[in-house]
Amino acid sequence: MSIDAWSRLSTDAFNVALYAYVAAMLGYFYFLAFRRTVVWRIASVVASAGLAANVVSVVARGVAAGRVPWGNMYEYSTLLALLVVAGHLIVVEGIYKVRVIGGFALAFAVLTMAVAVMFLYVGPGPLVPALNSYWLKIHVVAAILGSSLFALGCIVTILYLVKDRREQLAAERIVPIMGGSLELDAAPPHFEAGADEPVGGTVRRGLLPAAAVLDRIAYRTIAFAFPIWTFAVIAGAIWAENAWGRYWGWDPKETWSFITWVVFAGYLHARATSGWRGRRAAVIAMVGFVSLLVTYYVVNLWITGLHSYAGV
Amino acid sequence: MSSSAAKAPRMNIRQSLALVWRTLRSMRTALVLLLVLAMGAVAGSLVPQAGTSDARIAAMFRDHPLRARIYNQLGLFDVFGSWWFTLIYTLLLVSLVACLIPRTRAMIRNLRSRPQPARELDSMRHYAERSVRAEPDRVISGARRVLRRRLFRVNGSNGSGPPSLAADKGLAREGGSLLFHWAFLLILVGIVWGKGTGFSGLAVIVEGQTWTEAHANYDGQIHEGRFFREDHSGVQIHVDSFTARYRIPSGIPEDFVTHAELYDAEGRYVKTADIRVNHPVEVEGVKFYQFGYGWAPVIDVRRDGEPLASGPVVCQQDPTPKGVSPLQLPWNCVVKLPTLRPQVGIQFRLWPDSRALFALLDKGQAMPMITEFAPVMTYTAYRGDLRAELTQSISQLDTSAMQPFKDGVIGAGDRVKLGNGVTVSFPDLKQYTVLEVKRDRGLWIELLAAILILIGLLPALYTSRRKVWVIAEPDGTGSRLRVGGFALQRRSQFEEEFAKLVDELSEPFGEKVNAP
Repeated sequence: MSIDAWSRLSTDAFNVALYAYVAAMLGYFYFLAFRRTVVWRIASVVASAGLAANVVSVVARGVAAGRVPWGNMYEYSTLLALLVVAGHLIVVEGIYKVRVIGGFALAFAVLTMAVAVMFLYVGPGPLVPALNSYWLKIHVVAAILGSSLFALGCIVTILYLVKDRREQLAAERIVPIMGGSLELDAAPPHFEAGADEPVGGTVRRGLLPAAAVLDRIAYRTIAFAFPIWTFAVIAGAIWAENAWGRYWGWDPKETWSFITWVVFAGYLHARATSGWRGRRAAVIAMVGFVSLLVTYYVVNLWITGLHSYAGV
Repeated sequence: MSSSAAKAPRMNIRQSLALVWRTLRSMRTALVLLLVLAMGAVAGSLVPQAGTSDARIAAMFRDHPLRARIYNQLGLFDVFGSWWFTLIYTLLLVSLVACLIPRTRAMIRNLRSRPQPARELDSMRHYAERSVRAEPDRVISGARRVLRRRLFRVNGSNGSGPPSLAADKGLAREGGSLLFHWAFLLILVGIVWGKGTGFSGLAVIVEGQTWTEAHANYDGQIHEGRFFREDHSGVQIHVDSFTARYRIPSGIPEDFVTHAELYDAEGRYVKTADIRVNHPVEVEGVKFYQFGYGWAPVIDVRRDGEPLASGPVVCQQDPTPKGVSPLQLPWNCVVKLPTLRPQVGIQFRLWPDSRALFALLDKGQAMPMITEFAPVMTYTAYRGDLRAELTQSISQLDTSAMQPFKDGVIGAGDRVKLGNGVTVSFPDLKQYTVLEVKRDRGLWIELLAAILILIGLLPALYTSRRKVWVIAEPDGTGSRLRVGGFALQRRSQFEEEFAKLVDELSEPFGEKVNAP
């Protein structure tokens, strides 16, 4: 196959993936609203098909460009969407058996890919010398993996905040009958000394899983992402040492990846600090997510720095 | 006089210091400091910083002088070197140490001590009883094996009462966390030592020249560490040639390579290397990085056949306006002839690809100059006073006390006459490479710290602390096995782990009856 054919295949597969993700997202949201398991099953299959197309798109792009397919923002976005969807299908649906997050995870993937195809598209081509390094493979893969997991964790955190609010409102409404509690385990989750996860409150009421379950998934996803992000920053520093002769120079990208790292470190500490657990920690995670988006979009597109060439 | 002091709770210096120390140690303080550090870094990314955005800072001083002055006073143009940013991370590190010392002590105590026995197992969150067909001692030694296999630390009882043991695991969680946090201090050590004893600067080397790493040979400023004792290495680098490759016609850079030979301080040959972006070379701890390049025409000026100035002259470009590729701009250089009376200075403007000059003259079109093609230079010769006492720069000509007397074009291989027997020829065009030369002895410390951070982080996040107690009480012909458990992390998982553990402890002996 010619380079043009590979390039076309990549674009076509990208479109198939995007449409499949949109369809799956609608299906997931329909399931969330009406609880039709069959719709969830279809959405899941469509999302998996979209994921396969996404993989084809990324691989074909790599073949067309003759290098690893994460050399610019369009490619990075495509891979980010791929990992978020894969993470959702494998971790959230596969391991945690939680079905209702699909719509939000897919919405993130759809947004990322739509922005990529509308504003960031460039044809496949070779890399500028500064990017031409095996550290590109290591640093960028870690960064993208960390970002996708952070993104997933933060989607769940948003749902946690929504659900937690509802549970609190519900708890205020429940009037214990004759001093007894209606449901033993329906008490809002609470922390015990020294613990990093709440106990209780796992009974599910309403559309979303219990806040405690959402909180646990969010925490574990972010705790999984944090070392990967740490590694990405370290690998970036080693690469910078090789490429620019200094491992840290407060370039905007470095600064913002550091800010993201610090905020998520704050999140992990907040979960072990009394008075900060629960909603406050969740808000810190949201700040971290915003910082992640700034690290990726704002720094590449609007702030001039050494990473600018990695842009559009 | 002393009445107010008597009313207020008295606090002597020691007590107030203790309070400050306690506050610093608290996790909440660390958390707030972390978030403040992040906010400081945000300011550093939004306000243009000295060193990277000098032009934007100058523009702000021009357009908004008041705001620029306030920013400058607050150190916002150099956030990461400002006193308040230093204060934040110093406080954070002090808080870190304040927190780490007692935790490390406790950890050491914990490592030395053995799991403590407990008797009241049935009040624990996780508790189970089984009746098994084996005497208590056998049950306990079996339990010891099982727990050891599961990486528990086991401590048997040797006091009165039925045989029992206490076990725990997951010390790696705290150990990893301590390692992770201590490693940040190691980073600080690496920075202070590496930057303090190191230096960095730029070397401009024309093809065919040899450059020695010594103070006088740097181009521009050398950044020297606070503890640097002028111990320059004396290593040498000989540049054979330089290659820049661009994609045609887009002008996207593909590769910049300096082909060089390296010699140690005694002048012994060490190696031949290609220095390119992402591929620095190192000799005796001194690293050479590809930084930039430019053109250096060989210019030969003679009077009556006697050379006045001869050799390659390093040319530079004006700052590129927005939307213009540097490849489209000509290169400027100067030759000064201070020995002539009156003094003469010649400004050259080099077009490495003469087609670009003609495209500009004929059609007013800018054309990128990707490779050398029939290079030409335009020149203007001035006569008068060079004012050498005022302008030290070799690349700039101060024409305020001079008049132009001749201009023209000179192609590669040509010779032109300036008058008074002075001739200028342009026999050859070379390139020069700009290398960043650097020594940082702290790099290995930073790398070690980074590795320790990662090694520490994994158990700190993913292992969980568990405690288990086992008691076997004699019960007729067999024993009554009682197991209690306690988990600090991932409690939902421990439920299952605990059930499995109890099965494993009792199964080898055969159960008589399940306890109620």
